[in-house]
Amino acid sequence: MAGTAVLGRLTWLAATVAATNEETPRVHTLTLDVAGWGGHRAGQHLDVRLTAEDGYQAERSYSIASAPGDPLAITVERLEDGEVSPYLVDDVAEGDVFEVRGPIGGYFVWDGDEPEPVLLVAGGSGVVPLMAMARHRAQVGSTAPMRLLYSSRTWDDVIYRDELATLGIDVVHTLTRQQPPGWSGYTRRIDDELLREVAFSAADGPRVYVCGSTRFVDAAADGLVRLGYDPRSIRTERFGATG
Amino acid sequence: MTVEERVLDGNAAGGLLLELFGVDLTAAPCMCGGCGAREEVARLDVYVDCPGVVIRCRHCRNVMITIVRGPERTWIDLRGTSMMEF
Amino acid sequence: MPIISRGFRGRRQEGPPDRVPPGQYLTDDFPVLSAGPTPHTSLEEWTFTIEGGAEPVSWSWEELQALPREEVTVDIHCVTKWSKLDTAWEGVSVDTLLDAVEHDKEYALAYSDGGYTTNLPIEDLTDGKAWVAYRYGGEPLEAEHGGPARLLVPHLYFWKSAKWVRGLQLLDEDEPGFWEQNGYHLYGDPWREQRYWGD
Repeated sequence: MAGTAVLGRLTWLAATVAATNEETPRVHTLTLDVAGWGGHRAGQHLDVRLTAEDGYQAERSYSIASAPGDPLAITVERLEDGEVSPYLVDDVAEGDVFEVRGPIGGYFVWDGDEPEPVLLVAGGSGVVPLMAMARHRAQVGSTAPMRLLYSSRTWDDVIYRDELATLGIDVVHTLTRQQPPGWSGYTRRIDDELLREVAFSAADGPRVYVCGSTRFVDAAADGLVRLGYDPRSIRTERFGATG
Repeated sequence: MTVEERVLDGNAAGGLLLELFGVDLTAAPCMCGGCGAREEVARLDVYVDCPGVVIRCRHCRNVMITIVRGPERTWIDLRGTSMMEF
Repeated sequence: MPIISRGFRGRRQEGPPDRVPPGQYLTDDFPVLSAGPTPHTSLEEWTFTIEGGAEPVSWSWEELQALPREEVTVDIHCVTKWSKLDTAWEGVSVDTLLDAVEHDKEYALAYSDGGYTTNLPIEDLTDGKAWVAYRYGGEPLEAEHGGPARLLVPHLYFWKSAKWVRGLQLLDEDEPGFWEQNGYHLYGDPWREQRYWGD
């Protein structure tokens, strides 16, 4: 048997959907039961593989939303022209099964024993791996200052909205398309001035994690470098356009 | 969405590389055979919208790694990577 | 045996078997596949060159535009399994270009801005089988889809229709191009499902 086929059999695990939860109308969290799962670190992702009856397969990557100490969960945004995300958000029910591979990622991870302040910058569903970090921080009782700058289109699009306020981290929202009545927060895309007002001072030696679309991530990272951040202190993860 | 907006990073190739090498390579430093830049795999440009996975140096755009998966075989071209550490 | 997921179909359409080769699905949109950043070459700098004949022959953009233009409607088949029927292109037949070159070669390597290459027998570029296309769907060919001009060789898998094409090297032997060096079939006939080496 070819070497790659053997490794393949060892890396894909069966995942049973234990529960589904609506975060926003387009975004669902799936809690998964995976026999043989070895745990994960905050920031890592897993790959999902779906196989149709005729053998057709599609694979996508999803960030793990749960803290390492909690039941494994992924949060999926339904993309309009998507092939996998509409299935995971609209069709999947408790008891359904698919395959997962992971956890994956040794770079975009935060383990909670690092003392430096942590700046998290999220664009839309890029908040998912950062939420795992924030949940992990609360679980392990880390006192490292943590601040989340979170860009969403509208208030209804904000994922984990209520829970974010309870985690003991600073949360700064910017709503770029529409704001609720009485909104006094930011209303624009992240720019140098917004970063200057929100980000830790570069002199504090913070670690940064930025996650979102490629365009969002590159803009935020470039802006932080202009603010004096060491480029090597900024870790990025670009989310795919495909779903 | 333009090609520039759809370029991902080495995190997106992590699962594939794990399956092929048996090791998580996202944090593995590698050296570009074109310009000598040293970056972790997570900091490389990854193109997945093509008949394979093409990984390029973010500095000089040189092709560092190409992976093609056939039904029973996989081809990996590492010519553009002069060193990988893991 | 992978686990089947209840109710998963993916977004696929079957098509008429006389138009859609084995293993392919129909698509209505026009997926952009790229292995690298989109090159942007100005029309002032752009040239198309055929080398390997008695002497190199080059055309500027204006010179290419002045050559007889053909309108063709063809089906295209990507090795990543999507097929698109009745796509409308305009361009210059490769026959017209090769007629200007004296050569005794059998193979060609097409090369593009950005470094992409793909190889074909010259026989597959002649007798009305190939074009240098610069308009698609009635409009100038967009950069994302290979503009200002791309090779169009619809009877082979679409990776042979090199985007951003800048020329052909005529050769005595078949020399594998970018994907052909990495597992893809040297010839690539979709009707014989020649996707990978040895197919």
